[in-house]
Amino acid sequence: MKVKKFLLFCRKSEIDHAFSMKIHWTLYLAWKQLFPSKKKVSFFSMLAVIGVALGVNVMIVVIVFMQGFQEKFRKDIIDAQGHGRIIPWKSQKKWSVQQKQIEDHNAITAVMPYIQGQLLLQKGEFHSIPFSMGIDPNSGNSVLQVDSFLKEGFLKMNAHDAQDITPVPTIETLEDEVVFVSSQVARRLGVRPPSIIRFNDLNISESEGVGMVNVLRLDPFVESAEWEIIFQNDSEFIISSDVLADQILINLTDDPKEMDLGIPVFQAVPGSRPFKKGDRFKFHVFKGSKFEVFAPSMIEKVKADEMVPPREVKVGGIFEVPWQGFHTEALLGTMRFMQDMQGDEGRIDGFYFKTMKGFAKDESHLAKCCEELESKLGDGWTVIPWFVENAWFFDLLKFEEYLMILIMVPIGLVAAFAIAIALMTSVLRKIREIGLLVAMGGSRFSVGFVFCLQGFIIGLLGAILGCSFALLFMRFRDELMGFIVKIIAGEDGQVGVSQFYDFYSLQIYYPWESPESLNTFLSFACFAILVSTLAGLLPAWRATRLKPADSLRSE
Amino acid sequence: MVLRAEGLAKSFPFEDKRIHVLEDINLSLESGKSLSIRGDSGCGKTTLLNLLSRLESADRGTVKWQDFEMNASKQCASKEGVLRAHFLGVVYQAYYLIPELNVLENVLIAAKLSGAYGKEVSDRARELLSNMGMGNKERQIPGKLSGGERQRVAIARAMINSPKLILADEPTGNLDERTGGEVMELLLESCDEEKTALVLVTHNQKFAEATDETLFLKEGKLQN
Repeated sequence: MKVKKFLLFCRKSEIDHAFSMKIHWTLYLAWKQLFPSKKKVSFFSMLAVIGVALGVNVMIVVIVFMQGFQEKFRKDIIDAQGHGRIIPWKSQKKWSVQQKQIEDHNAITAVMPYIQGQLLLQKGEFHSIPFSMGIDPNSGNSVLQVDSFLKEGFLKMNAHDAQDITPVPTIETLEDEVVFVSSQVARRLGVRPPSIIRFNDLNISESEGVGMVNVLRLDPFVESAEWEIIFQNDSEFIISSDVLADQILINLTDDPKEMDLGIPVFQAVPGSRPFKKGDRFKFHVFKGSKFEVFAPSMIEKVKADEMVPPREVKVGGIFEVPWQGFHTEALLGTMRFMQDMQGDEGRIDGFYFKTMKGFAKDESHLAKCCEELESKLGDGWTVIPWFVENAWFFDLLKFEEYLMILIMVPIGLVAAFAIAIALMTSVLRKIREIGLLVAMGGSRFSVGFVFCLQGFIIGLLGAILGCSFALLFMRFRDELMGFIVKIIAGEDGQVGVSQFYDFYSLQIYYPWESPESLNTFLSFACFAILVSTLAGLLPAWRATRLKPADSLRSE
Repeated sequence: MVLRAEGLAKSFPFEDKRIHVLEDINLSLESGKSLSIRGDSGCGKTTLLNLLSRLESADRGTVKWQDFEMNASKQCASKEGVLRAHFLGVVYQAYYLIPELNVLENVLIAAKLSGAYGKEVSDRARELLSNMGMGNKERQIPGKLSGGERQRVAIARAMINSPKLILADEPTGNLDERTGGEVMELLLESCDEEKTALVLVTHNQKFAEATDETLFLKEGKLQN
């Protein structure tokens, strides 16, 4: 009471607190000591803030990119393996009931039976023993993204006065006598799918605005030959070739896909000037390669003195699976082709399946779905979700991420030590000011708090700046990474680096797009603020220990 | 009575002995009155001011601020900073302005320390600076000011909370005779206007004589 009375007495001309200068003096002084009046930039503050910002930036960028890689691998794996695999304990010949049961599950959107094994491929003197899989072309694309694996213009021809216009094959090309091989197998055997070039100089339609004739489909049954298209009028053209018995008249309104196998499907695309009689386009088709296939089942037949000729197949397309864990030497054929090669008609080795979006995103949902499927199918079947099948890989990625954090945390600590030393020096320089503040009524705790706040402000500004740097880096990552890789590895090296670390197509998430990214930003920003504030604690403690009278006497 | 000290004594350890700097100091000061203390260098004048401002604790004796006994009790210690901010103004020989703050901010920081924020405080700070002849330099930083100007700012800072008592430790010690005279004049005028008591430690006889009472500190004791 006595103290209150005394204070009231002292403050009879007291001041209204609800005015503009509302910042507490500790924060005010901490700010002013970092950013003094009449000075545009404080060298110490600038260095400290930039130091923290760079640390935060590096930590965020690395982790966000790691998350981007994880996301990319996740997508690649799902594209190559679906959301899960259902494996019978023994190979199954009767599986239509199970397929129906799987399809009936409300979370399943697509199911694809498969059969797999090893085959020996031979082309002349060259051999390959790829991982081979038989799939159902009708359901294949809905579970595995086969079409997206097939490469456009692989082994593209570079003719001087012609243009390679080979269309990208699709899973529809897959027939019992046609297979897709991985680019590694294609290189090893020296095989390629059919291709087609369009001659430039023989096209009469060179005047400006003329349309163009492209090729929509080039099936593996085409033979090497020249093909010619001559327009009869603006809506009809004739296809002729040595391999055709008769010319074919095509109307532009006809469905171009309605064409027999072995004949390229041409598509006329009119330009600003309509086609007219006599417009001529010339093409040359190079037939696709063939090779021979041997299967282990043939050995048994040979043992029984049976004559077993190898099976000849055509190359329908060449694929590359972006998922690095997929077999580099691989062959995709139809189910029937693989069953024939295994000598086991009707057999399957399991199913790949895809689930609805919501299930696929949440691993716990998918795990539950797998459990339900397993109990539905009963004994004899195992259901494995994609993240379990590839757990080793994601464990590796997580380990790499933690290792990165472990390596990078010292960066933050180095910044903290630098801040602590600078603030400690500041305390020693300001001993008399500290004494003065206490003499003017500041408590020792408050004076110490000023230095702690300085650490906090440096951390806060560093975190904000660091997050901004990280956002800028993410926004301009292609330009920045291109520049860095070019400097380190040169133009040629850039291609090699991007094969493994494809920064250009990497999907990374801004904090407002993904909770994981937001979490990363917030975690590292908080870490920087915490570490910087802690760095201010030691100088703060030192300041509180000073005796004001001694401080004022100090020289 | 604004200030009363009774039986104050202070000693410091030196090697194996204790040096008795102050012994049985008694003084009192009424509101609006001024008192000067003179003495040889090292006689304990600054120590006496530190005891009066409670920056140091006395070995014996009591200090009363406005009849409120300042002692080492928990209740008193917890409020000491707040009481000091409102009751006391301090002026030092070396000014002790905060170099990162401009003139106005240096004055305002003392107000903020006492918990006073707002436009009225700013207006009062400006008025004080204007009275000190520093109205046109409120945005200057201390490094750009002369010694006399810095001391004027320090006086304005001491006055900002309308304290009951100002302790001035050789405020003209770093100034030439003429500037020192001007500063002293301002200090005395301000104390007179605000009815603030003043304890002035000085070597200068002329300035000492300008106060209502003059004491001499010799061999640890105050003499008339």
